[in-house]
Amino acid sequence: MEFFKKTLDPIVALAAIAVLDLFLFLIVGSWTVGGGETMMTGLLAKIFLGEEIARIPFWNLVFVPDAGYWKIYISLGMFFGAFMGAVISKEFYLRFPRRLSEWVLITIGGLLMGVGIRLAFVCNVSTFFGLTPELNLGGYLAISGILAGAWVGSMIYKKMLEG
Amino acid sequence: MSVVGECLVAFVFGSVVGLLVQRSRFCNTAALRDAMLFKSYRNTKALLVAMMILSIGFPLFMTFGEGHPLRFDVGLNTVLGLFLFGVGMVLAGACTVSTWVKAGEGNVGAVWALIFTFIGMFLFSLVWSWNYWPPAPASMTGQPNLEALQLGFANAQTLQETFKIPAVVFGLVQAAVLYAIYRAIRRKEEAQQIKHDRIAASHRQPVAAE
Repeated sequence: MEFFKKTLDPIVALAAIAVLDLFLFLIVGSWTVGGGETMMTGLLAKIFLGEEIARIPFWNLVFVPDAGYWKIYISLGMFFGAFMGAVISKEFYLRFPRRLSEWVLITIGGLLMGVGIRLAFVCNVSTFFGLTPELNLGGYLAISGILAGAWVGSMIYKKMLEG
Repeated sequence: MSVVGECLVAFVFGSVVGLLVQRSRFCNTAALRDAMLFKSYRNTKALLVAMMILSIGFPLFMTFGEGHPLRFDVGLNTVLGLFLFGVGMVLAGACTVSTWVKAGEGNVGAVWALIFTFIGMFLFSLVWSWNYWPPAPASMTGQPNLEALQLGFANAQTLQETFKIPAVVFGLVQAAVLYAIYRAIRRKEEAQQIKHDRIAASHRQPVAAE
């Protein structure tokens, strides 16, 4: 099939995603990723810590671990959809970061993303595909934050590329 | 809708999104980073188009009280959190969407980023349990709370209630602003293309003379 041979125009892909997001908004809520990831963190923490998790109030007051939280399944779906797309178009293969510096950057970046999402209550997806289109004041706050952050990140990245 | 139904809808939505993002190589990080570093706007334009559609669609539904908008107070934590996120996503080379999509393509680095996103969230849960900031959704008031550095809650619906103007009007204004940005990017790209063609032409000439 042609779809699995050529790269899809991202404008077409994102327009389609936006239309689907409108339906999702009517049924359960707009597209988001951070909330599902937090719930997965809570479920994993519960597996590792058992009853000890009760000693961390965050998991009682903000996110109570619950496997029936719909946002989890968006993330799992994205993983599944991408896996199918990659396998059918013969693009699936294991890729490892080559240099140690890449591993370090990914580690720091991952940690910052995790802390940032929880501190803000939103991730980049909710910012661009939820809050801002809902004209939520938080959307503008979040966009100014993410633009400043991406700029600082880009400057660090540039330094690393040159150095 | 039942819990299972909700999860099923979310999974189907996620699968289609994963497939579309994988096939189009869209990346939210690249949409911001490439525009800033390399003056390349392939992903930025796609992001703007999606936001234009949603900026009209969501407020249109909200005008009639339909849909499920996000409800929580925002404040300094929103700016700070997304700032940290912005730095993190450029360093990791992937945002929340592309970590899942790249993990699905077999990218071990993306799986590593996901693991550390989870660890970061867990670390935050420890810090939160110590200082209780930002306020938990249960204790949010929707009103500005300067002591907790919170600005309260406002969206298309509250705008409609306050100004008695249909929410969709505000949405159309936002979509128009996004379109203006889109147009400006297109013009910039056209200018880049002309410059590129001119340089390419000047490089061709010596070859022709040989």
